[in-house]
Amino acid sequence: PQEHQEEAKSSAVASSQIFHSDGGEMEPETMEIKSVSEYFTKMHMGSVMSRQRG
Amino acid sequence: MEVSCLELALEGERLCKVGDYRAGVSFFEAAIQVGTEDLQVLSAIYSQLGNAYFHLHDYTKALEFHRHDLTLTRTIGDFLGEAKASGNLGNTLKVLGRFDEAVVCCQRHLDIARDINDKVGQARALYNFGNVYHAKGKSICWSGAEPGDFPEEVMMALRKAAEYYEANLVIVKELGDRAAQGRTYGNLGNTHYLLGNFRKAVASHEQRLLIAKEFGDRSAERRAYCNLGNAYIFLGEFEVAAEHYKRTLQLARQLKDRAVEAQACYSLGNTYTLLQDYERAIDYHLKHLIIAQDLNDRIGEGRACWSLGNAYTALGNHDQAMHFAEKHLEICKETGDRSGELTARMNVSDLQMVLGLSYSTNSSTLSENKDVDYNMHGARPRMSRRHSMENLELMKLTPDKMNVRT
Repeated sequence: PQEHQEEAKSSAVASSQIFHSDGGEMEPETMEIKSVSEYFTKMHMGSVMSRQRG
Repeated sequence: MEVSCLELALEGERLCKVGDYRAGVSFFEAAIQVGTEDLQVLSAIYSQLGNAYFHLHDYTKALEFHRHDLTLTRTIGDFLGEAKASGNLGNTLKVLGRFDEAVVCCQRHLDIARDINDKVGQARALYNFGNVYHAKGKSICWSGAEPGDFPEEVMMALRKAAEYYEANLVIVKELGDRAAQGRTYGNLGNTHYLLGNFRKAVASHEQRLLIAKEFGDRSAERRAYCNLGNAYIFLGEFEVAAEHYKRTLQLARQLKDRAVEAQACYSLGNTYTLLQDYERAIDYHLKHLIIAQDLNDRIGEGRACWSLGNAYTALGNHDQAMHFAEKHLEICKETGDRSGELTARMNVSDLQMVLGLSYSTNSSTLSENKDVDYNMHGARPRMSRRHSMENLELMKLTPDKMNVRT
């Protein structure tokens, strides 16, 4: 569970390779994540910062 | 009141975060229908739709949306966004087996990350690169050959994978990112395993295990134990392998993962066969069989029957061996496994002969079968063929460590 927090930026995709005859079980892929809410938080922070500067 | 694109996208995001990708997709698609002037929002929607489809294993759709995201980010000159889109596109192309295109995407991801001096991005691109080359190596010529003995093209791809994983490790160690180190050690271990570097594979998986324990990540711990077991098999250290498989089994049970539990039992069955402890082998193969039946996994069931037939034969219990050989034949016919069917037919005919011999009081039966190399093998006529087949898989596992009769 902690590791999942560490992986906040990525998302774990379960490996379908269960059988070792396939050459070992692989670790999950890391996908890059974009977020609308993060984008707006940054935008909001940006405007607050510029207002403070001004 | 009209719902805005942004509201729909936020709901899609929330649903994907809790793992409900189907519902998430519906909201993101509705958001696109409504439309937005904000291209950053649109990029985030495309990207998340791509990832949602990736999680749902609809890779064609995932490809479509990550492509849209890449085109969009390039158009608006959003480099960081382009790097992320390239990374996701690369991962998707890898799963689709389009490795050359995937490599181009990984390179773009890496180049941008280097340009903007983004260490985290560089590390992630290097990990993806390693994964692409690992998958490429495995795709070229996987079945039939044994680790360390693949065609040069395969070995080259695997060596490249190892190089990228090593380069990734340098950065993630610098960053102190233990979770990323864990993932890389796991895949590096599997790469060394395929390259035939079993000692190095063990060293990597030991590191993976250590980090999994640090995080209390039992799934990763289970993976590490299983991969360690596999490497020890190739090192000829069967007892050690068995101990690792037992830990795998324990964790699979704790995690209530029946498919993995079945796999661990199967591995244990094979390991005890290598140790020539057939009673224990049978015990584990039976456990595997029961789970395979529960899960309605006919292929697994067939494999269990074949293994059981061989183990009973080794013990000289030909009635039980026949029971499982026939069952194996029946399943192979049903699943359309032609080579399995051929093997099963030969096993059944061999056993018919043995049973015929042991039940028959008629000496003519013996004389009819004189051409069989009966004398050579004492009470077990034509065992050579069975043993060679039984060991087919296991011999590959242990090219020069086996001392089982052939």
